[in-house]
Amino acid sequence: MGTALSQQLAWYVAGPIMGLCVVACRGLFNGRLGVTGGFSEVVGKLRRGSAAFDWRGWFLIGVALSGTLFVLLAGGRSFSGYGWLTETFHGAGRVAIPFVLLGAGVLVGYGAKTAGGCTSGNGLTGTALLSPASLVSTATFFATAIAVSFLIEAVI
Amino acid sequence: MGPRFAGAAVGLVFGFVLCWSGMIDPNVIRSALLFESSYLFLFFGSAVLVATVGVELLRHRHARALLTGAPVEWTRERAGRRHVVGSAVFGVGWGVANACPGPIAAQIGQGMLWALPLLAGVVIGVLLFQRGGAPETEPPTDAPAKPTPSVVPVTQSG
Repeated sequence: MGTALSQQLAWYVAGPIMGLCVVACRGLFNGRLGVTGGFSEVVGKLRRGSAAFDWRGWFLIGVALSGTLFVLLAGGRSFSGYGWLTETFHGAGRVAIPFVLLGAGVLVGYGAKTAGGCTSGNGLTGTALLSPASLVSTATFFATAIAVSFLIEAVI
Repeated sequence: MGPRFAGAAVGLVFGFVLCWSGMIDPNVIRSALLFESSYLFLFFGSAVLVATVGVELLRHRHARALLTGAPVEWTRERAGRRHVVGSAVFGVGWGVANACPGPIAAQIGQGMLWALPLLAGVVIGVLLFQRGGAPETEPPTDAPAKPTPSVVPVTQSG
């Protein structure tokens, strides 16, 4: 199992399974699959001192637990370091990384809530539902993220 | 089995595939966004294709959700300013961190320390949005609002 898991799963297997997860949420409880919905459920309930999460919160918990299960079965984590950040910042400069990630996280959380979904809620589910809002959202965040990536590439 | 248990089970499969496909690795996301690798786009495209066909089949057959008995239906939202602005803000964060909410949750489950400030940021972002008093943009159901039903539906709890 460990060796199989160390090989990247073929896209034509991985992609359709993700698609079937969207179909499963519809077919089981008519839900709109989205990870950010899970974050807002968990954060919103915990703020009010409750842990009685609805399915969105439990979906998020399942995603988090999958990471633990993967480490147990694969015998190690998926990667080390943190992408371009740990490749760019060295020594004392690494102090900057948590702040960059914190700031990026705020943009991810606030932006996704404002748009009503992230890469899963809008990008995957909303697009599959042919929702105009999600199609516009998906085009926007892909374009922005691509532009930012090339910008970072030009600067570092 | 109720929706909560089913939600957790689907989340487990969803997250496991995120891990196995390398989507939680920032380097994999970055090489896709720099057009150095086609994996993400093929993965994403095939996922959307399967999801589109699957949910349309359910709706065409007037299927009812297995666990709740609710009709399989949804509302399509019109595109507005908040979708463009919100997604642009989200895209900047995704482009910098190379991780979105699903992978961040899976990274936390894998025990990755670099994901902690990222998680804190997402929580702060969600809190800022909620404290602004805006209505929830991703409610538990996106089914169209119904007028008072004339027939009480028989539901099965399971």
